[in-house]
Amino acid sequence: MPRPEQTIVKLTIDGREVEAIAGTMLVDAAKQVDVEIPYFCYEPKLGEPVGACRMCLVEIEGIPKLQTSCSTPVREGMVVNTTVDRVLEAQNSVIEFLLVNHPLDCPVCDKGGECPLQDYTFGWGRGKSRVIEPKRHFVKPLALSPLIAIDRERCILCYRCVRFSQEVAEDWQLIFTERGAHTFVGTHDGHPYVAPFSGNIVELCPVGALTSQPYRFRARPWDIEGAGGICTLCPSQCNVEFTVRDDKVVRVLSRENSAVDDGWLCDKGRFAYQAIHVDERITEPLVRGESGELESASWEAALGAARAIAGHRGRGAALVGGQATNEEAYLLGRIVREGLQSHDIDSRLSGTVELGLTRALAAPALQATVADLEFAHTVLVLGTEPVDDSPILDLRIRKGVRRNGVKLAIASARPSTLDPNATLSLRYAPGSEAEFLAGLDAALSGTAASDEFGALATLLKDGGEDVVILWGESLPAQALPTLLSIAGKLGLTDRDGAGLLEVPNGTNARGIREAGALPNAGPGYSEVQAGRNAAEIAAALTAGDVTVLYLFQVDPLRDLPARASWDAALGKAAVVVAHASVLTEGLARHADVVFPAESSAEKEGTIVHPDGRLQRLRAAIKHPGEVRASWQVLVDIAKATGVETGILTAGMAFQQLTKAVPFYAGLTLEAIGGRGLRWPETDAAAEMPAGAAPAPAKVQATEPAPEGKLLLGTYRSIWASTEVEISPALAFTIAEQLVELAPQDAIALGIEHGAAVQVAQNGTRLAGRAAIRTGVPAGTAFLAAGIAENSANALTESIVEVVKA
Amino acid sequence: MTPTHLLFDRIDEPGLNTLQGYEKRGGYSALRKAFAIPQAAIVEEISASGLRGRGGAGFKMGQKASFLPKGEMAKYLVCNADESEPGTFKDRELMQKCPHMLIEGMIITTFATGINHAFIYIRGEYELQADILEAAIAEAEAAGFIGENILGSGHSLKLVLHRGAGAYICGEETGLLDSLEGKRGNPRLKPPFPAIEGLYAGPTLVNNVETLATVPTIINMGGAEYAKIGTEGSTGTKLVSVSGDVQRPGNYEIVLGTSSREIIFDLCGGPKPGRTVKMWFPGGSSSPVLLEEDLDVAYDFDTLAKAGSMLGSGAIIVVDDTHSALEVAQKLTKFYAHESCGKCVPCREGTNWTHKMLARIESGEATPMDLDILASVQTQIIGNCLCVLGDAMAMPVGSIVAKFRDELEAEIEAASERANTVPVAPVQDAIPVGAH
Repeated sequence: MPRPEQTIVKLTIDGREVEAIAGTMLVDAAKQVDVEIPYFCYEPKLGEPVGACRMCLVEIEGIPKLQTSCSTPVREGMVVNTTVDRVLEAQNSVIEFLLVNHPLDCPVCDKGGECPLQDYTFGWGRGKSRVIEPKRHFVKPLALSPLIAIDRERCILCYRCVRFSQEVAEDWQLIFTERGAHTFVGTHDGHPYVAPFSGNIVELCPVGALTSQPYRFRARPWDIEGAGGICTLCPSQCNVEFTVRDDKVVRVLSRENSAVDDGWLCDKGRFAYQAIHVDERITEPLVRGESGELESASWEAALGAARAIAGHRGRGAALVGGQATNEEAYLLGRIVREGLQSHDIDSRLSGTVELGLTRALAAPALQATVADLEFAHTVLVLGTEPVDDSPILDLRIRKGVRRNGVKLAIASARPSTLDPNATLSLRYAPGSEAEFLAGLDAALSGTAASDEFGALATLLKDGGEDVVILWGESLPAQALPTLLSIAGKLGLTDRDGAGLLEVPNGTNARGIREAGALPNAGPGYSEVQAGRNAAEIAAALTAGDVTVLYLFQVDPLRDLPARASWDAALGKAAVVVAHASVLTEGLARHADVVFPAESSAEKEGTIVHPDGRLQRLRAAIKHPGEVRASWQVLVDIAKATGVETGILTAGMAFQQLTKAVPFYAGLTLEAIGGRGLRWPETDAAAEMPAGAAPAPAKVQATEPAPEGKLLLGTYRSIWASTEVEISPALAFTIAEQLVELAPQDAIALGIEHGAAVQVAQNGTRLAGRAAIRTGVPAGTAFLAAGIAENSANALTESIVEVVKA
Repeated sequence: MTPTHLLFDRIDEPGLNTLQGYEKRGGYSALRKAFAIPQAAIVEEISASGLRGRGGAGFKMGQKASFLPKGEMAKYLVCNADESEPGTFKDRELMQKCPHMLIEGMIITTFATGINHAFIYIRGEYELQADILEAAIAEAEAAGFIGENILGSGHSLKLVLHRGAGAYICGEETGLLDSLEGKRGNPRLKPPFPAIEGLYAGPTLVNNVETLATVPTIINMGGAEYAKIGTEGSTGTKLVSVSGDVQRPGNYEIVLGTSSREIIFDLCGGPKPGRTVKMWFPGGSSSPVLLEEDLDVAYDFDTLAKAGSMLGSGAIIVVDDTHSALEVAQKLTKFYAHESCGKCVPCREGTNWTHKMLARIESGEATPMDLDILASVQTQIIGNCLCVLGDAMAMPVGSIVAKFRDELEAEIEAASERANTVPVAPVQDAIPVGAH
């Protein structure tokens, strides 16, 4: 559904003239003229108002009864009074009623000081209690989940958390039980409320009924400060507010930005801040000592050891992890290209895409925005599972379908949690992405090879012009020319509200590419002498053609395919320099120097959202321990390799970047500000080099797995991240090897749900647990990648054998 | 007084609950007649009859039906058979003894409004009546009164009987719709009204059993003729359920406008010998109480409203002088606090608080000042709730506090004296500690 047109109506609230957009609720229109109407249950993010708390009653002239201003839209000529006696009487009645059962334990309540009920009681209450009856009692607090404590005595039954569960996350886990004053919020059978987005209910709760277990009793509102930042744990790049106490992040709240996150956070983003302040984090430089072990070292010693790379000109390479900022990626490019006089730098770890194609896919005219997902006629989710790969988009897609009638199509190898919301869900065999897209492309041209292709083509072509294709970076490079052809056939270029939106594998993948950390592109997707990509770097390391590897927040054994060959390659390297916050296996085994990496709460720099929005990271806390700004370290290393950057501040690094990337011209940190700025919408976007799409290559049909074996597909769980692993509160979510099997295969193999299994291939055996999932196509197994142990990247072939352990 | 019987005409005749019995009496003739006239004309007949909703609100049925949007779309008719207003049991008898009258009324109504899906939401406790209705629906289906192209009229209808699970709030029309959709039965915010956005978000007409069962009569008689019965604002006859302290409790069909005294004394025999009417609820437990001096008030919508109460569902509850005002008020609050759905604050907390305050009076822990709080709490509830359940307690309780203040003050004094001699347990919390 295209965005609705907006008309303006005029009305009067407390004698003040208001001009509001038609459809605005009175309570919001009042805010425009600084009239505060109190409310508890109203929260537009949750959908239609419920009018349950009755706190926002106002008088509308001409209507005898008081009306809830949260559910009454503005109308031309309306005269509204919010401070007349009968309104005040109704409001302080509601406060009095709420306090009939709400305990007056504010001094020991976590919410005290930032509690709407407390504020409204002061502002709109009677000031004196007439209640002497005993209040209701519950056992308290109870763990609603390992992350959330529930105090049912404090609950004012405002409906927010239940509505979130039922109408936003759509997990339907939270329910009301019992009736009247006995009503309480709970789950079916008291099962813990474990869901990817559960933490949002803590923030929604207008009282202290739902509190964060990790934050509980850690701070009071008057000894904390809020600092705006960006979560860099996935490409969603949600805007957050760090709650800081004594230079420590003690909580993460959402910082609503409807262009990015709609005001929600996933539990990884909300609770993995703990990784900033745990012992497992690297907070001082490490250098491999005489003993062969990594040992704490001074910065001087570590930088000295890292300078050794300068002696390997022409033989140095770098891999850039997704959490790098644009500036860091840019500096790494300079170190490799200018300092080490090499061309071997890569950040697109899933394979290299031709430069012309990269440019074409990133073309401003073809970019859809996050908000387009909500207002498109049709959204096609292609080769990505939003809840794992970019969780907050999962909520945005659900919202579009639920509230705006967006038609959803899903095309993926692995079943999606969005399947129930989809008009059409299509499955293809893992590895046959190119084949699938060729089929769709043909169907759009009128020759559908099957009814499924025909139905999808019809939906995309005839369901309305605004089509958004949300595609995952894990689509193989050879499938991308066809994707571009499909976009062309659907007329997605230069169409507002339509286009492509990539879900990259790394948080700042887009910015890093734009800063030039690709083997075939320099800053601004400029042409450069082609270098080696990640897989080629591994081969060159093994062959001895590359001797130095710079790993910026990436561990090949963890994050890249072909783990064994990387293990061998790293073993051959003369010098491995790494930036990391956790000592993962590959680094522990092979790094010679490890610089402590910054968390996003400490960092200054910019990153780019997949839709082209530059966002700014700002330091919310000082660096813990010996941690230094990474840009500064990189400037030092650059200098050692003979590159005088002249950069003295993070801001100067950004300035250099804007000079190097033509389409960033004119951007300033001030302009990016707290909400970000989409460069594709700026004048400088014209400087983006034009793309060129190669003709789609001929594709070969994927063979099904031979009898008794299964086709291998992989997935990366939302919880597969080092930050999650070292956050105590999230320990219960740590991703293990869950081998997803189709029910019929599981029966044939005699494997039960939850049973221990072994996945075998060419002598490699991985241990895991079976997860039988309807919707997994028969003949396929999906294995988790990106996890600490038994990760799918140990496997190199596309066929596996799954057996009972 | 000579009774005019339209709905209860020979209601106890054996076999009337079968299709054969009903047809023998001319049943389904109204349906045939309706199919012969234009749909809009049927709605006009209903409007002309002046028929007001018999469930409690007294909204004009013809007007409600006219709110439904015209045109092809999924529209629904829902018959509210969740007869849960205390003291009301008229629909039970009607459904039990003459189910086809309701079914015929529903078929005519759906034809007139272009509806093809209808539901009867019956309270779970009405097992016998539900069984009878199910059998009657099956009979009507077999006879071709329900199904595709009924009697060649081109009208199709699917009629489903749905049993509730026992909640007063599911008699509130939007709570009923949520429950019917399989959700927790909580009332919805209005607007949108069900006629615009009701069941499954489609336009929905919700009517009471008695209202719909009157439709065949109106079609047979003609709206104008029907409107001649009763008073100008309250046309037709009304089933009243009389209960409490009368000698002949039961259901009676009366012409609207009949004197209340006539109903309570002539039809029901009045209170037991030697007893007097202390108070009476004219329209179910939700209506403000009237006193003995109000007995001559005419029993119709407008006169009762003028007298400060309401006709409601037509359930007259008579309380004689053997009962204390406190006892009556406590019975009411216990019910409403138990049945409040908990969605909106004034009702949830107001009913609960009122109940606890009354318990305090009984246990001798109250002062006369508490009556002021009690009274003000009722005014704080009235008009501020999401649906009318809160008002349904606050109106009668408020009226009892106002009309029996002296008695309640005396009770407070007596109770605290008792409390001094007899040890009184502390007021128990209504919710068990550690519930879940």
